[in-house]
Amino acid sequence: MSDLKTVGTTVPRKDAMEKVTGAAEFIEDRYMGPMLYAKMKKSTVAHGKIVRIDTDKAEKHPGVKAVLTGKDYPNMIGLYLIDRTFLAVDKVRFWGEPVAVVAATSEKAAAEAVELIEVEYEELPGVFDPREGIKPDAPIIHENLGNYEIVPIFYPKPGTNIANHFKIRKGDIEEGFDQADHVLEKEYYVPQMQHVPIETHKAAVQWSPDGKLTVWSTAQSPNVVRQLLAKSLDIPMHKIRVISSYIGGGFGCKAGASIEGLLVPIAQKYPGHIIRIVFDREEDMQGTFTRQALFSKLRTGFTKDGRITALQYEMIWDGGAYTEYGVNIVRAAGYSSTGAYDIPNVKTDSYCVYTNNSIGGPVRGFGMCEMQWGIERQIEEVAKHLNMDPLEVRLKNGMKRGSTTASGQVVHDVDYEKCLKLVADKIGWGKQESGKDGKLRGKGIAGLVKCPAQPSNAASSAIIRINEDGTAHVMVGATEMGQGMLTAISQIASEALHIPVDKIDIKVPDTDFTPYEWQSVGSRITYTCGTSVKRAAEDALGQIYCIAANLLEVPQEDLSYDGKKVYSNKDPNIKATIREIADSCKKCTGEGIAGPIIGRGSFVPTNMTNLDPETGQGNPGLFYCFGATGVEVEIDPETGVVEILQLASSIDAGKAINPQLATVQLHGGTIMGLSTALYEEVRFDKGIMLNRNFTDYKIATFDNVPHIDSFIVETPETNGPYGARGIGEQPMIGVAPAIANAVSDALGVEFNSFPLTPEKVWRALKDKK
Amino acid sequence: MKMLSYDYVKCTGLSEAVDILAKEEQAYPYAGGTDLMVGMRGGKFAPKKLVDVKDLPELNVFEENDQGIIIGAAITLNQIACDDSIVKNIPILAEGSHSVGGYTIRNRATLAGNICNASPAADTAAPLYTLEALINIAGPDGNRSLPVEEFFTGPGQTALKKGELVQSIVIPRPFPAGKGVYSKASRTGSVDLATVGVAVQNWGEHVKIAVGAVAATPVRALSVEKAINEKGEKSSAEAAKLVHNDIAPITDIRGSREYRYHMVEVLVRRGLEQTMGV
Amino acid sequence: MSDKIKIKFTVNGDSEEREAVVGETLLKFIRDELNLTGTKSGCEIGECGACTVLLDGKPVNSCLVLAVELDGKELLTIEGLSKNGELDRLQQAFIDHAAFQCGYCTPGMIMAARSLLERNPNPNDSEINKALSGNLCRCGAYQEIRDAVKDSASK
Ligand SMILES: Cc1cc2nc3c(=O)[nH]c(=O)nc-3n(C[C@H](O)[C@H](O)[C@H](O)COP(=O)(O)OP(=O)(O)OC[C@H]3O[C@@H](n4cnc5c(N)ncnc54)[C@H](O)[C@@H]3O)c2cc1C
Ligand code: FES
Ligand code: FES
Repeated sequence: MSDLKTVGTTVPRKDAMEKVTGAAEFIEDRYMGPMLYAKMKKSTVAHGKIVRIDTDKAEKHPGVKAVLTGKDYPNMIGLYLIDRTFLAVDKVRFWGEPVAVVAATSEKAAAEAVELIEVEYEELPGVFDPREGIKPDAPIIHENLGNYEIVPIFYPKPGTNIANHFKIRKGDIEEGFDQADHVLEKEYYVPQMQHVPIETHKAAVQWSPDGKLTVWSTAQSPNVVRQLLAKSLDIPMHKIRVISSYIGGGFGCKAGASIEGLLVPIAQKYPGHIIRIVFDREEDMQGTFTRQALFSKLRTGFTKDGRITALQYEMIWDGGAYTEYGVNIVRAAGYSSTGAYDIPNVKTDSYCVYTNNSIGGPVRGFGMCEMQWGIERQIEEVAKHLNMDPLEVRLKNGMKRGSTTASGQVVHDVDYEKCLKLVADKIGWGKQESGKDGKLRGKGIAGLVKCPAQPSNAASSAIIRINEDGTAHVMVGATEMGQGMLTAISQIASEALHIPVDKIDIKVPDTDFTPYEWQSVGSRITYTCGTSVKRAAEDALGQIYCIAANLLEVPQEDLSYDGKKVYSNKDPNIKATIREIADSCKKCTGEGIAGPIIGRGSFVPTNMTNLDPETGQGNPGLFYCFGATGVEVEIDPETGVVEILQLASSIDAGKAINPQLATVQLHGGTIMGLSTALYEEVRFDKGIMLNRNFTDYKIATFDNVPHIDSFIVETPETNGPYGARGIGEQPMIGVAPAIANAVSDALGVEFNSFPLTPEKVWRALKDKK
Repeated sequence: MKMLSYDYVKCTGLSEAVDILAKEEQAYPYAGGTDLMVGMRGGKFAPKKLVDVKDLPELNVFEENDQGIIIGAAITLNQIACDDSIVKNIPILAEGSHSVGGYTIRNRATLAGNICNASPAADTAAPLYTLEALINIAGPDGNRSLPVEEFFTGPGQTALKKGELVQSIVIPRPFPAGKGVYSKASRTGSVDLATVGVAVQNWGEHVKIAVGAVAATPVRALSVEKAINEKGEKSSAEAAKLVHNDIAPITDIRGSREYRYHMVEVLVRRGLEQTMGV
Repeated sequence: MSDKIKIKFTVNGDSEEREAVVGETLLKFIRDELNLTGTKSGCEIGECGACTVLLDGKPVNSCLVLAVELDGKELLTIEGLSKNGELDRLQQAFIDHAAFQCGYCTPGMIMAARSLLERNPNPNDSEINKALSGNLCRCGAYQEIRDAVKDSASK
């Protein structure tokens, strides 16, 4: 594919000029017109009945236009498991749950009015640990679980707190353990984390007098917002318009729909006004998705030469108070539960459990960071047990072309081995360095894999309009939250259309004008939206040829196109410029031919299936992306401080559409992984989130980030556009286990949970002594 | 998030500021605002009036004279961290100042604000303790001066009386003859509050040690000092163990009580090794 | 109690006279009164740096400054960095190195880095780290930002 012109080259980001000049429009930057400002009243208990809400004083407060409680507005919403209302009705299930919303003519008036709302609760016993919540005698958080509407690929257990129980039964687990010479069993724990995009959640809505709802939102997926609002509010889709601006980081927390619907009834009362809500940092941390905590137990059977014969994985996830989205993470972790390894006999039980902690939901990696933490830690222990090189154990069991996943799906375009070896070589694997001043050094590696977690029919589409001058507009429903979608998608269009990138315009989505896109999640856009765009370009190209053939009176098969003109292969002087084709669309006689040129392309997966409810067997993966992380650390054994000396990260992108942007993504994911590995943990006390600002919840900054060596591997994805697959989430997955493996290597202690804070490392060393 | 209404006044003379602070209820001196603005947002402070003292000439004094180094209350931590005289004579204060927040914060944050806010974790406090700094206070009843150790009275509490404000902080002569180091342990090692902070200052003949984030106020490690200064303890490790007698840390989001005990001991020992060569 | 105070200042080179509400932050004033929405809010407690602007040439977290303090001062925001449509060389270096993803931290980042380059025209990695560590980038463009700052310094 060396004849590619644009794909595979580094072109500047489409959004670059706007973003370095401050001109880029985020939703709060938009001057919107007559405004009302909304603020929420939040619950002060984690689990309780609402005995009384008194909004009288708030309603009378100067400037207040509307006060709404759950009773006024009991509509349900949710993506997979419809278990939420916009405002709590009768009962609150987590600390900080919105119980009322106030709209006023100023933010100040709204904030003051919120303070005037009186709420009385009757506190109920809470569930704060999913291992307790799963027990038969635990307090029930959703009494109505049996009546909730649900996508039928999830398996809640009414009468319990189990929102989903996903199973894998692959091969014969008993036999697998029989074949094993050794068996290891360990427990692992991954705490909650927060995405903390620097831009918090924001939304604005407007109801026009003719009954049209316009929504501006930081949502990652305008089409999902439209779909969920349409269903929840019973408004037809053509009456809902959802507009995305640039998004200041998503990482999963802005997936689905959450805050937009809160504002609709107020908007309906004040047609023409724009009702806006802006979450402050604390609201953002406490009131939006957290990464679900995971308590797991992993049992591995392996032979004396290091071949894994059986794996039994029990995962108990802290789904939080509502699991409308979380149920799918639990499923994804289940069907991927062997990580990057080919293991013949697998038994997995993955439970999503309601608790009275903050709502769990998607975060970059969608369960893979949490689940593969256990896998990658245990592989290390297997190697140690056998006195084998952990890299060798990984290579021996690692997936190859033709391997099967936990769900029995065959993987095709794989070079996991290369990913591992690149990072191993880079960090000087096998060479032990000694630290200075009593510090200890160690090296660690971890592998990773992820497929997009999406319904088997999650679709994409694209429209390409060729202008009269031969320039083009690409219209897609994907959002730009930093991942570089606008640029990569333009490059794909450019490649297929032979039109230079700078002659292609692309904007963020607006559901009234841009075609359907399921969601910008799961590292899927390059593949799914990219395929749609490629198809739309090919469609447009077909029209170009068709018009040219008519115009030039040359059969299509004898024509060539070089991006500027279409010409006859036999006589290049017989030609028409793209301008002529796009603009005139007519013969010299004046008879019209066809046009204007509008290419359309769509994509829906054809390689995915449902999974068997009992065995979990089937094809859940659109594509599988592999990678690896390698680190060298130096530890001060007295203070427990871990310093990262080397950090290498590889990812198999299939084809990097834009190598620079792919590298930046790789770095970004690796850094987020590093930050969670060393610092991040949301702490709760009986459901109250303790560290809900940047003073208490620390993320990595410049000082904490070493130079990263990155490797983009290109094993083409057979069905991906130009061989590409998505890589947005993946680089994060291997970092925590690689660091823990390195620290473990240096200190000879095991780590079964992270973050590896100085205190935790110190404690582990102390306990060893 | 709290939305407050309050008044703002920018004073041009010290007496005017003192006057307002003395007469009006809930009037707060406003310096860099890096604590005040955050505290007001979180509901910790509810001022009726902010008295901006940054431009008062009396508070902008920054000089070295016979008495010592005079640091006006409006002098920022960045100014202090890169001041030649401070870096040369009392580098421990430059280190303490530099370890507060990030550059942009220190560009506004003042030394006076750091101690008036009286967080037990204030990074400049322990260095000031070991330097025997004096706090010059201006008030309705005239001026007075207090040793910094008497200035801190509790978490968020100082010896300031109604109407009083800090005019300057004095690092008296003679300056220490030996080396001093401030070591801060934190969760990220970057912009973060201290889990513990330890200042060790060699004075030539004796050592002074102070510790932050381990009690209601910063504290002197008197047991350690005594062992070294009076009893001739030569082992840093042995001396450092005694610091457990001087501190009473708690467990919070930044670290457990146990880890704090441990870290203070480690940092005291290392500080002694670096400054006393023992 | 005076609700509003008249203030005179220059913003991105132009003199202005406005009224500022007492108690309002400089960040809000810049965004809502001056309509310079390039400056961003990410925490409003001084921890993220998204709101960084230059006041009399020095970087401040505008969320921790009162609007009324602008009186008599010179304010430079991201909008004032490019002149006549020509980018500042640091802005160009950010583009060349793709030193951002979502771009939300970028205005604050560029202002903080601009001020670093003024103090230290040739910073090394560790000096950049120290100077910019109060600016968070959750997209993790730190390595590219370091490269951009060094690159623009060398030009
Ligand atoms: C992001 C961030 C990071 C931080 N990191 C650290 C850190 O690492 N270490 C640390 O120690 N601190 C840290 N701080 C806290 C803060 O920056 C310091 O305490 C700072 O020195 C306070 O000075 P200021 O001038 O901003 O005080 P202000 O906020 O103006 O005032 C603080 C208090 O002191 C009073 N006050 C101010 N001046 C006077 C005076 N002259 N006389 C009497 N009272 C006065 C005020 O009324 C107020 O009560 C951080 C703050 C932020 C926002
Ligand atoms: S908004 Fe000012 S520092 Fe975060
Ligand atoms: S580019 Fe997104 S936060 Fe920095």
